[in-house]
Amino acid sequence: MKTEPDHLSTTFAALADPTRRTILARLAKGEATVTELAAPFDLSLPAISKHLKVLQRAGLIEQGRQAQWRPCRLNPEPLRDVADWVGQYRRHWEESFDRLDDYLRELQTTEQDDGGGNT
Amino acid sequence: MAVRQHLGNERTTAYTEGPDLVMERVFDAPRDLVWRVLTDPARVTNWWGPRGYTTTVEEMDVRPGGRWRWINHTTGGEDAPFKGEYLEVVPPERLVYTEIFDVPGFDDKAATNTMTLEDLNGRTKLVARTRFPSVESLEGALATGMIGGALETYDRMAEEFAKG
Repeated sequence: MKTEPDHLSTTFAALADPTRRTILARLAKGEATVTELAAPFDLSLPAISKHLKVLQRAGLIEQGRQAQWRPCRLNPEPLRDVADWVGQYRRHWEESFDRLDDYLRELQTTEQDDGGGNT
Repeated sequence: MAVRQHLGNERTTAYTEGPDLVMERVFDAPRDLVWRVLTDPARVTNWWGPRGYTTTVEEMDVRPGGRWRWINHTTGGEDAPFKGEYLEVVPPERLVYTEIFDVPGFDDKAATNTMTLEDLNGRTKLVARTRFPSVESLEGALATGMIGGALETYDRMAEEFAKG
């Protein structure tokens, strides 16, 4: 596992909020201004800006300097790191289960050949 | 209601449920045998870890408060040590333990694994539930296709942005 763990925690924390996930989903379609991002929500611009700061600190978005009309854009690297990490963990277990399946079959075949009984 | 993000393959069902990653598999073996194979230090080495990897069981004391430490030797020649503590041991149906990736930088975080075995008329359903540390919403992190197929889109976008 090559991923830096604190970075992952920050990414997870940033993704833990549904408003922020919706913002990211919107940015996945292309750049947007803060005003455009705020549009679907019943939230003030300062409230949206707080969410954007969390995403920015997690490295998930980049934001222009004059926040209100410069666009925000998505940075996919942290998401890829999360997917990689969970993917590695899941693959580890999937392959372990495959091996466990083979091993259980092998053990039962052996037991049958020996005429049964507990091993 | 938990939204399930299906992650598994045709043999192992995997999905997220809130903060948990859940993996399920039915084995053609009786529950007692599956339990023994899961909890016997001499047998763990025959199945744990990706194909091609070998395992050294340094420690494995399967009882509440008991410790375990296994080292996965990768095909690349690296060692990946894991360790933890057993919290609940209820043969042949329930095993709960912590899991830590035992290298500096990772070893301050423990995931909690809960394995339950259900008897299905001579076959066994194993459900392995992993709760990762500091993940308020693993489901959220993996939901709505944000991770997975959407990453390809993000890659193309990143390339576009890099052009300036």
